[in-house]
Amino acid sequence: MQYTLLITGSPYQSKACHTALRFMKAALKKYPDCIKGVFFYEDAVLIGNKLNQPPRDEMHLTKAWQNIAKKYDISLYLCIAAAVRRGIISEGESRRYELNQHSLAEQFQLEGLGTLVELMNTTNKIIQFR
Amino acid sequence: MKNTLIHLNSSPYSSLSCKEGLDLALVLATFEQAVDLCLSGAALSILGTNQSPEVEQGRNLHKLLEGLEFYDIENIFIQESHLNSNTEHIWQGTQALNETEWNQMFSNYQQVFRF
Repeated sequence: MQYTLLITGSPYQSKACHTALRFMKAALKKYPDCIKGVFFYEDAVLIGNKLNQPPRDEMHLTKAWQNIAKKYDISLYLCIAAAVRRGIISEGESRRYELNQHSLAEQFQLEGLGTLVELMNTTNKIIQFR
Repeated sequence: MKNTLIHLNSSPYSSLSCKEGLDLALVLATFEQAVDLCLSGAALSILGTNQSPEVEQGRNLHKLLEGLEFYDIENIFIQESHLNSNTEHIWQGTQALNETEWNQMFSNYQQVFRF
């Protein structure tokens, strides 16, 4: 069975991103192929900001997601509309909006909601964390 | 194809949740996925016909309701016990369910997303 994770809760106002990470670690430990992709929507897209600098004695949540995605080769998608409106900008979007900066962290990619629809139709279950 | 229910429960004016939930419903419909909506709690205020938010208050999501049928989103459920007795200023395109029907409704979908 393959899952898609849909995360909508803010990394700062909720524990959605933390709980999803814990779920993913536990699931992958037992079934390394069980997560097809992770889609971040609403305020959860803030996880993909490479400029996040949490205090040194706290967990670096963005890095934790990057590490697990790299280890298990899992795609981390941010909804492009939700991300761009919150200042999470890839190099490509930076050029499109004629900006000098970009803020999208490595391992994350901007995709439309159509990608979420495709994930829905190609995995057994979607689990929302909010 | 999976049946999807988008459950809106947040105030349309206190966060982007309602708007982003509706955006997801519209995208699902655009991709010809079966999608219904249900509204509860603060999200019910979308139904009021006499609202004209200022730009600082956010987009007038009420205006989206009339367009839903063009996306083939035809089922918008609410709980009849949560309806204000004065329905004069309430959008009429919803289906009111009693408590049992409301509770059973969630079992009709393979996916329920809450906003």
